Amino acid sequence: MNTNNKETSRPSPRPGFVLDVDKNTPPIVFHHGENFHLEKLPAGRSRVVYPSEPLEGLPDPEGAIKDALLNPLGDSDPLPSLLKPGMKLTIAFDDISLPLPPMRKPDIRQRIIEAVLDMAAEAGVDDVHLIAALALHRRMTEDELRHAVGDRVYDSFAPKGLLYNLDAEDPEGMVVLGETPHGEEVHFCRRAAESDLLIYVNINLVSMDGGHKSTATGLAGYTGLRHHHNVHTLRNSKSIMDRENSALHASNWRMGDVIKDAGVKIFQIETTVNNNTFGREGPLALLQKREWEWNARDRGQFIAMQRGLNLLPVKAKRHIFGGWQSPYELTSVQAGEVEAVHKKTIENVYAQQLVTVEGQTDILTMGLPYICPYNVNSIMNPILVMCLGLGYFFNLYKGKPLVREGGVLIMSHPTPWEFHPVHHPSYIDFFEQVLTETTDPIEIEKRYEKQFAEDEWYIHLYRNSYAYHGVHPLYMWYWGSHAMEHLGRIIIVGGDQKAVRRLGFQSASTLQDALEIASDVVGPQPTITHLKTPPLVMADVI
Amino acid sequence: MKSVYSLATSFKNKFLKLGFPWVSASTPIGVDSKSKNNSLGASYDTEWARRPAARLARAVIVETLMRPVMSFLATPTRKGLDRLENLEGPAIFAANHQSHADTPLLITSIPEPWRHELVIGAAADYFFNTKATSAISALAIGAVPIDRTKVSRQSGDMISELIGEGWSLLIYPEGGRSPDGWGQPFRGGAAYLAIRCGVPVVPIHISGTGKILRKGRNLPRRSKSTVTFGYPMKPENDESARSFSTRIEKEVRSLADETASSWWDARQRSYRNSSPSLTGPEIGAWRRSWALSDNDGKTRKRRRRWPVI
Amino acid sequence: MKALRFKRNIPRYAAAKIAGNIMPGSGASFGPIDLIQEENSKSPGKDWVKVRPRLSGICGSDLATVDGKSARYFEPLVSFPFTPGHEVVGNLDNDSRVVLEPVLSCTSRNISPPCTPCSEGKIGNCENVTLGEISSGIQTGSCHDTGGGWSTEFYAHPSQLHSVPDEFSDEAAVMVEPTACGVHAALAAELPDQGVVAILGSGTLGQVTISALRHFTNPKTIISTARYPEQKRVAAQLGSDIVVNPEEIHRAVRRACGTKAITNVSEKAPDGRVDRLTGGADVVIDCVGSSKSISDALSITKPNGKVVLVGMPATVELELTPLWHRELQLIGAYTYGTEKLSDGKTTSTFDLAFELVKTAKLEELVSACYSLNDYREALKHAANAGARGAFKIVFDLRDERERNIK
Repeated sequence: MNTNNKETSRPSPRPGFVLDVDKNTPPIVFHHGENFHLEKLPAGRSRVVYPSEPLEGLPDPEGAIKDALLNPLGDSDPLPSLLKPGMKLTIAFDDISLPLPPMRKPDIRQRIIEAVLDMAAEAGVDDVHLIAALALHRRMTEDELRHAVGDRVYDSFAPKGLLYNLDAEDPEGMVVLGETPHGEEVHFCRRAAESDLLIYVNINLVSMDGGHKSTATGLAGYTGLRHHHNVHTLRNSKSIMDRENSALHASNWRMGDVIKDAGVKIFQIETTVNNNTFGREGPLALLQKREWEWNARDRGQFIAMQRGLNLLPVKAKRHIFGGWQSPYELTSVQAGEVEAVHKKTIENVYAQQLVTVEGQTDILTMGLPYICPYNVNSIMNPILVMCLGLGYFFNLYKGKPLVREGGVLIMSHPTPWEFHPVHHPSYIDFFEQVLTETTDPIEIEKRYEKQFAEDEWYIHLYRNSYAYHGVHPLYMWYWGSHAMEHLGRIIIVGGDQKAVRRLGFQSASTLQDALEIASDVVGPQPTITHLKTPPLVMADVI
Repeated sequence: MKSVYSLATSFKNKFLKLGFPWVSASTPIGVDSKSKNNSLGASYDTEWARRPAARLARAVIVETLMRPVMSFLATPTRKGLDRLENLEGPAIFAANHQSHADTPLLITSIPEPWRHELVIGAAADYFFNTKATSAISALAIGAVPIDRTKVSRQSGDMISELIGEGWSLLIYPEGGRSPDGWGQPFRGGAAYLAIRCGVPVVPIHISGTGKILRKGRNLPRRSKSTVTFGYPMKPENDESARSFSTRIEKEVRSLADETASSWWDARQRSYRNSSPSLTGPEIGAWRRSWALSDNDGKTRKRRRRWPVI
Repeated sequence: MKALRFKRNIPRYAAAKIAGNIMPGSGASFGPIDLIQEENSKSPGKDWVKVRPRLSGICGSDLATVDGKSARYFEPLVSFPFTPGHEVVGNLDNDSRVVLEPVLSCTSRNISPPCTPCSEGKIGNCENVTLGEISSGIQTGSCHDTGGGWSTEFYAHPSQLHSVPDEFSDEAAVMVEPTACGVHAALAAELPDQGVVAILGSGTLGQVTISALRHFTNPKTIISTARYPEQKRVAAQLGSDIVVNPEEIHRAVRRACGTKAITNVSEKAPDGRVDRLTGGADVVIDCVGSSKSISDALSITKPNGKVVLVGMPATVELELTPLWHRELQLIGAYTYGTEKLSDGKTTSTFDLAFELVKTAKLEELVSACYSLNDYREALKHAANAGARGAFKIVFDLRDERERNIK
């Protein structure tokens, strides 16, 4: 019979921790693109950073959302009192790069936007625009928008042209609101600037997201982004996941002040989800379980999965993994004034992801999965591999990096020499032309940024097709500039040799070979940290 | 064929010639007939149809027969299923009623787990008229007898008990199928039961089945249909059945508006209490029919492409 | 004297064609080419002088002949049997060194008055190729009466000879003739000032063309394609601004010109693939001559631009719609003759070639020397020069015993 069988019988989730590898430690699962490897780390000098188990989601998400809208944080009135008939309302929301992997329906943005629109309907608001705040990312397709906001909202607004992707290269659609005291132009979406109220719907997947960055970056174009998406700013962001020590965020916060002073009223709604990336049950659940807690069924399933994946062609594997949707659960929702909201959000992100780690090691290893923010429903080309490893995963730290200065980073990914011609056309040119000349981010910025940012063909594809902006591959390269400066050597295991060399890294066929190559730089018997992510985990290195 | 017919007739005649006790005796004239233990209508006992064997048979009928037939006849679109995400336990599903096709359509649309733990409130005087129809209704769709106009004590108790055991109920608050395509006023049965048993009501709007099998027709026609689920509704503290029933009807109206126009427009009109009425304009019959045909003006744009050779 | 001789022999020609298709250069082993030794050759006429080759180059057209890939087009324009070899530096009887300009014009055929092209100095277009005192032959190296460079002696008309300055090494001298082809092509292109030019193919011909463009024209950007690392290095050294793999040429030209591309527009989205450009290079010089290279050339030239075919094509399958639609000019550039410079002066291509070989040190393109006995290896090496990191392969006849027998 239909009983109230909620999973209250589950034990409470355990926090993440650092495992010291000894002779009894089983091999560890490394992500390797659309496959997995089991790697044995040397005993006595390796440790593995394990993520926390997923926190329980809120039992009544709709209720929590309504509660947040009616009881905002900081200097803000409840949402219903901000909605008046005849007003201009704009709702901006995070684009396809969040969450990763995409979450199962209903997406949290759908829930929030419907709750907001319900209040707007009640208040008699007619003039509503919904904008995917994608800055210089690619436009979202109809299916992707439907997934994010739901069919009801899509069918109500898209046919009338009221739900659309930001076009940051539209001269009529963008304005400069002013400059920060450092001379940084604040470039902004005109419709959002001229609205009576701008509501931002955010998913704070990692601590880099949210706050003023949502609007100052999400609704901006090249004119504004170049002031903080550059090598100097990113080299002074240690790390980009740690707002208080990030020049990137300092710049965005300055821009947030300019936006406020320009009279743009923002009602920020931020959410956090747990890290239930692979599900507590189902075919991929064993990727969230600690290896020594795998039962016989898990082990059999892993072997079968690996064998099966080895036999499949690349396209089939991409199709399988690309179809995976994570059963993320909402863990918090807060609304109101940007900074007050963001403070609470970050507490919740850290509650799920932060793990204390003592000290640094000589080597950092990581297994890179099949997905990063810029290849949803697409192909992970070598530049994105580099960005995921050196830009994102390397920066999942607070305090200091997990690997010492001059140390070695070893990443595991097939790194295919393959590019998606619709999504990443400028990446092909970057890989073919720029990287053959130089891999130094400062040189690249000086010689090529203007050409890629102003090329008419790339702008045409960004505005009319589903392509990332021409300058985006350079931003990917800058994202890794802090890591490139910090590290002594970068090695990719199991990657396409020509592609890896074009990136300027070293290629190794196995992890053992990579460790041997690394000893040339860090000496014999180096210490190793393995960052076991996804599911997401962030290291608080003390 | 002829020989079979003549064989059957001769068999029947032989049987009748046998007389009592092979055939029931007729009551003599002048004698008061003992009031038959009326086990049809609202007092038909459907408990047998909820035993495991019968439930399995019903599940098989639903999935292997009902689903493909409805898929073919009604090409249904199901919307709003995500609104049932947080629904736990039994519920009362209340829908508007236009044709006999509604019930199989809803049975195949209501998601699991409620689908296989569902009883249908069916008009006692129509479906439970004879032993044969009673048995088929109880088995094939899990029907329980219910009164059209006001929930009687008997059916009310029976249904409350079932809901208490965890069964969900599908009921048509209008009481019967629409005679002309427009809706009829909602009666209070669903609201009353919800309050009594403490379970939520899920409002549902069905559109398109009126064309499939209108009241009065016998042969079905193919037509597109849409089933839209609304958020589960709970009665407010101390709310009366009548007021709750009015709220349910308003919600179904809003769902109808959502299907006909868009969710946003429907929400706006709902808040202004200007959702289009389900019962139609207070005008003459032909104009009511005429106005109905305005609602389905969605033509499909044919995409023109170069032929690929 | 010793020579390599090409006989008219159909079955062996067919065999060469097959072998050449399987393994380039192997037509030498199967085809109608043989090493012969015979009494000294006869002079074709009283003006003619004997030349004893020192170095003789192997050219792409020679390889095509050996592998049976040469267009049947040339058959009436050659006389069998002949000795191939038209890139020659040799000694006259008085031991002075000369470079051969192999084209046989009205002068060498003793035809008077000369035909119109010859009188204008465009000897490559001579209309009397099959007439006159000597048998048919467009140049030395395809004519029975003259002999050819792949031997220890042959005959040349004085009008065909250029004296070699003392500071020129033999290697530099043998590069003059191929360089002249490159110079002629570069000037035939008529590249506008600060124009963008793309060169497809980085064998010897491509390299000398790059060098000629760099020296005699004023390009904004030279883009060239090269498959092998050695080719890339030399191309960059000789003046190419951008060197890419052949399959990357479309994108490279698009970037250099800053134009847009026309892609396969699906219903969903225009693609980022770049197959054809809306604008393009001012001039594209094709030093390969295959269907693929000419198609590529047509897709990266800007409307009203020029495509110059320098590499000898045979029968190719080609979609000419782009040529028509974009109003392109498809021009052939054959050997050399007289060039008109920007200041109006005329000079012979060979003079410019001498200048270029000296300035750009093009003798470094001579990669290997072989004796006549090793002709099979030499031809195989020449056919695979790119993959083997080589450019010009030459026959070294300085040590041949037969050479010095008077």
